[in-house]
Amino acid sequence: MNPDLLPERLREAISGDLAPVKPLPPVWTRTLYTIALTAGGLALITAAFKFTLRPDMGELPMWLSWGCTTLQLVIGVALIGMALREAVPGSGVPPGATALAIATGVFMQILVGIVTWMHSPGMPLLEGVGLAKGMSCSIKDAVLALPAMVTTLVLVFRALPLRPSIAGLLGGSGAAVVADAVNHIMCPMSDLRHVLVWHTGVIFGLMLLGWGIGKLWERRRYR
Amino acid sequence: MGVDRQAEEQRLIELMIGYQKGRMDDFEGLYAALKQPLLRYLWTFVRNATVAEDLLQDTFLQIHRARQTYTPPRPVRPWIYAITRHVALMHLRSGRRRKEMLANDQLPEIPVPPEMEKLADRATLHKMLAELPPHSQEVLMLHHLLGMSFEEVGQILGVAAGTAKVRSHRALKVLRERIVEREGGDS
Repeated sequence: MNPDLLPERLREAISGDLAPVKPLPPVWTRTLYTIALTAGGLALITAAFKFTLRPDMGELPMWLSWGCTTLQLVIGVALIGMALREAVPGSGVPPGATALAIATGVFMQILVGIVTWMHSPGMPLLEGVGLAKGMSCSIKDAVLALPAMVTTLVLVFRALPLRPSIAGLLGGSGAAVVADAVNHIMCPMSDLRHVLVWHTGVIFGLMLLGWGIGKLWERRRYR
Repeated sequence: MGVDRQAEEQRLIELMIGYQKGRMDDFEGLYAALKQPLLRYLWTFVRNATVAEDLLQDTFLQIHRARQTYTPPRPVRPWIYAITRHVALMHLRSGRRRKEMLANDQLPEIPVPPEMEKLADRATLHKMLAELPPHSQEVLMLHHLLGMSFEEVGQILGVAAGTAKVRSHRALKVLRERIVEREGGDS
């Protein structure tokens, strides 16, 4: 090998910082790690805030309560996996797959909301308290999204996302869908206006937040 | 993928593993193996040999900072080319491009595979390639000149393999049309 091939400046920079590094685990391992931390975080939050199951849980068929929650969790985890994949150079998620996955997450949330509303009216939407109820549900969704959001974004930005805003968008969407999946069996209200404004709204808000964090990270790292 | 290509990829994986373990020799081996193809790839973005040389060093510094993000035994080249592409795009965004383009516009020596030499002589091909839009040039460079599969090209560009294939076919079609136009004009 001809050592002259390597410029001296580069050789100095590299040899001065050549500590062995541990390769990043595969995406599926990092996804499992995220699931474990998210599950732990959700258990802690549920216990700390004394969140309980929705009062009409018994009226909902199993497929609509636990079934839909499981389905949404699977979609949320898939989105998180895609965010973690996007964080590694050379394994970026194609734009079509990104759009399809995010659209599926939002569509499923709306569909579950509609079907739940058709099966059980839940707690009525009382005149004058809709805003307060809605705000409290949105905050609950955001709090429930925290463990997945933080874990995913930390793992994403510890790698090297070349499109950080896309990775953030996927991570935010995944965390939001996971939070909504959990809140589906907790929120006592089925009214479609409540679901579409306060629950779907949070999903879009967290998507935007993930995208924005990605943009900020990009500015700090690459500018 | 041919046997040579598999052997080359395997060698790159071994070098990358050694480099992650902290072996300078393996980093040098990686640099020696990838210097020329990466310079050619960088040239498609900046069209300036001196700037491409500078960006090559920036690329290897980025590779060094992100070396833990490579997971063996995944192919090394999509990982490295994706980082290279990003370094080039960041450079283009930085606004230093215009001055450099005016200062220097020489063409590096690019090896042309036989299937592309059928289209025209080497000098004409080089000239016509350089006149293509950067995104067309990039995909032709990666697939036809650097010999990457569409799957690898897709991984580097962050698109599906099918999309990479479509882009390559379109770019080749444009190249053929321009060569025919040129030949028509010459005669």
